[in-house]
Amino acid sequence: MKFTDYCLRSEGAEVVLATSSDEKFPPENIIDGRSDTFWATTGMFPQEFIISLNKCVTINKLTIQCYLVQTLRIEKSMSKEPVDFELCIQKELQSTEGELQIEEFSFPEMQASYLRFIILSAFDAFVSVHRVIADVIA
Amino acid sequence: LVKWTSSCLLMFCNDGAHFQKNYTLVSHVELFLFDSGGKELFAEILDRLWEQPNALCIVYDVTSEESFNNCTKWLEKLRAQTSGMHIPGVLVGNKTDLIDRRVVERNQAQEWAETNGLEYCEISVKEMENYEAPFRILANSFHQLYKEKVETFRSLV
Repeated sequence: MKFTDYCLRSEGAEVVLATSSDEKFPPENIIDGRSDTFWATTGMFPQEFIISLNKCVTINKLTIQCYLVQTLRIEKSMSKEPVDFELCIQKELQSTEGELQIEEFSFPEMQASYLRFIILSAFDAFVSVHRVIADVIA
Repeated sequence: LVKWTSSCLLMFCNDGAHFQKNYTLVSHVELFLFDSGGKELFAEILDRLWEQPNALCIVYDVTSEESFNNCTKWLEKLRAQTSGMHIPGVLVGNKTDLIDRRVVERNQAQEWAETNGLEYCEISVKEMENYEAPFRILANSFHQLYKEKVETFRSLV
């Protein structure tokens, strides 16, 4: 089976909402396919962003690369508009001093057209999100 | 403007859409301040108000030894709740217009502030003197914290 990452701008993905927007570290950095660029939150929690996947797809696995995130909640929607989100998972992440947190979540054939990531709490005043990967069966 | 009547203030920087506006941070800092009352009556509310603070501002009365001594209590309460996270802040001596009644000297307070990793300034709210200083200090230290953290993020990969 071949997998394609759908959380890429080149695949038509878009960040349709982000609660922090320092123009030096914009949310688009999450979907540019690179781990060295990132979206930075600029203060207070919760923080969130919503990725539009261009169309409703079947996701097998989600990966997020981030730093200093403590409580992460992932929701998805199958609607044409970013509404009616359902909980996928909520998890307490481990602190990884000095290196990226790489969290993988497996879902058996999850349908989604929008993904919503909510950072409920953190290990510091700010967090970064470097990349989100959604493995979709091609 | 925040009321300066109580002995402790906590401060946050906000730009979440969970709050009313979605902000763009250019080179300014927007503060989200909680003015927390020092009275015992409000003690329980403080635990909720003081969740994940990013900076602190403790205001004491330079004409009251007790007010100054209480700063230790406020700082300890905050540190206990923020489990070792570095929180920048400022100690503010108010009522400097009451020269004759002053009992806490500047260097005594300054020394305490330094020992506890805080900046220090003095104001007179009555005379509207220097009242902007604490806000500037808080905004600057918070922005400094952000710049440092972003450098850490940059160095990760």
